[in-house]
Amino acid sequence: MVIVEIPIGPQHPALHEPIMLKVRTEGEEVVEVSVNTGYNHRGIEKLLEKNSWVRGMYISGRVCGICNAVHMQTYVQGVEKLMGVEPPPRANYIRTLVMELERIHSHMLVAAVMAEIIGFDTLFMLLMRDRERVMYLKELVTGNRVHADIHMLGGVKRDLDEVRRDRILSELKIVEERIKYYMKVFEEDYTIMKRLSEVGVIRKSEALRLSIVGPTLRASGIKSDVRSDDPYAAYSEIPFNVVSRDEGDSWARMMVRFGEALESVSIARYTVEKLPQGPAIPKTIPRATKPGEVISRVEAPRGELLYHIVSVGGANPYRVKIRTPSFLNILNTEKVYIGHRLADVPVIFASYDPCISCTERVMVIDEKSGKKTYVSMRDLARVRVG
Amino acid sequence: MEINIGKFIFKEISPRRYVALVTPSELREAVEAVMMEESYFSSLTAIDFPKEGKIELNYIFWSVKHRAALILKVTVDRSNAVVPTIIDIVPGALGGELEAYDLMGVIFEGNNKLRRGFLASEDVVEKGIYPLRKDSGV
Amino acid sequence: MRLALLREILANLARKPATLKYPVAREVTVAPGFRGKHYADLVKCIGCSLCAVDCPANAITMEKLPQPLKQNQRGIFPVVDYGKCVFCYQCVFVCPVKAYIVTEVFEMADHVIGTSRDISLSTIKGGGSA
Repeated sequence: MVIVEIPIGPQHPALHEPIMLKVRTEGEEVVEVSVNTGYNHRGIEKLLEKNSWVRGMYISGRVCGICNAVHMQTYVQGVEKLMGVEPPPRANYIRTLVMELERIHSHMLVAAVMAEIIGFDTLFMLLMRDRERVMYLKELVTGNRVHADIHMLGGVKRDLDEVRRDRILSELKIVEERIKYYMKVFEEDYTIMKRLSEVGVIRKSEALRLSIVGPTLRASGIKSDVRSDDPYAAYSEIPFNVVSRDEGDSWARMMVRFGEALESVSIARYTVEKLPQGPAIPKTIPRATKPGEVISRVEAPRGELLYHIVSVGGANPYRVKIRTPSFLNILNTEKVYIGHRLADVPVIFASYDPCISCTERVMVIDEKSGKKTYVSMRDLARVRVG
Repeated sequence: MEINIGKFIFKEISPRRYVALVTPSELREAVEAVMMEESYFSSLTAIDFPKEGKIELNYIFWSVKHRAALILKVTVDRSNAVVPTIIDIVPGALGGELEAYDLMGVIFEGNNKLRRGFLASEDVVEKGIYPLRKDSGV
Repeated sequence: MRLALLREILANLARKPATLKYPVAREVTVAPGFRGKHYADLVKCIGCSLCAVDCPANAITMEKLPQPLKQNQRGIFPVVDYGKCVFCYQCVFVCPVKAYIVTEVFEMADHVIGTSRDISLSTIKGGGSA
């Protein structure tokens, strides 16, 4: 039979992200998929090298919209190690709360996107409606529904008061019920089971060699979670379970996310109830680092997020390497599509919870915008001198 | 604290971070040994040191068994940055190698998927510069 | 075959829409403490430029004061370009004299790029220029 090459993306109604999957099909069956990247580059690693440690905090937060607080956490905890600064326990709890709220809304989002891709628009609408409650909580704690920006070198920028604590607890109760309900829908609904189960299976034996991370790895039966293996922030003090499943298919990945979202609700509740007393906001901002390097790992909603920060002293980082979970999850799973139908490709792709803005943060400025950037860099230098 | 894997000794540099220095010719053997310890490839960081004329490659693996990051440090010459590929041992390292080649100009011998423009934009590729090198002018 | 969502769908028939008819009905509210439009109170500002140095978006420029103010020896004040600003509030946090006035105003889309110049200058008249 003739092999037909079908490009899906970079702009495509079935994909919500600017990436191109070149799918070669024989009839309906997929025989090869190659991932084409490079549509969303911003040069953030270079940008971080050219900005101060404090500015870098906000730049790292802008790598990704959905998981901005975890990006800031990874950067901040790495830089804090280089600076020899220890955040107070109360700040650690508030950071944990924000990151867990983020995980809840991220997992609800991917469930909604998945529902939409398989043509279940009602479920998409309902999930997005209830996700708004979590977004409101994030806005209540941090001051913005998307970009938290609550981290600060040596603490957090905003404390949590009694009124907010009560509101969080009452909203979390509703959110928990809704997540349980949607989990049941994903477990029982005929359409969802038909589209997701046995689709895009990654076996336990291949999972480590493929180097996938996060819920995708845990759905293949490997219990690896940075929060429990390599605790950061307040996770060493908070009891929680690492959710995993053995099926390894798209459905298992969704169920792991639902299970995790429920765990996140209980972690968030724990941080609010057991919030330690004491200061959370640093009085001064530390600005100088010792030379050295640090590998900072955080469990983002999509998996292990890693920053490798190198300092040679001075006002700017020497090198910041950002390795985001989607970078591994998207590129290393090209083979999983093979043998499935063409209509399954977006389903499998969405089940990795792909995030292109995370994958392609490294970019090179083109001539025109490059010039512009340099002008503003000089502006910056002038401001500093003046 | 040390972890011994095969003939390679990983020294602890901070909690749960272990480093071993290897030469480019030992790299594949070291990666094979690390992958036996239930590890997954986590990241490949290339760091440019123009003063010393070196590029330092950090292969970061996370070992589920040891609950530790195992880091292989390889130093290569800046003007002749060539190391053997590891994607046949760890397919997951493909992204890391493509990125290091595209942005730092490290050549991975035996990796036939290497291409410019994987992440970098077209005009940079045409100029033939590697943007993350300190003297690239980007 | 089960329709797991059937009850939810029936319940929604009697419910009001979850969406808001913005901007016809301006019932959009934000949480208390929302990071909205902010500007420098020139009665307090000492012109130290810390906010401009730390601004990750280069949205703050220091401009000359039209009249001398006692506490501001340098004679400059920060102007926030709301078109560039990312509302991270680093400037609010870093300010040594807590000179920034914060609001919950978020409707700033306009055909001209707004800055905080005029609103900042209007704070001088509030007294304290002596």
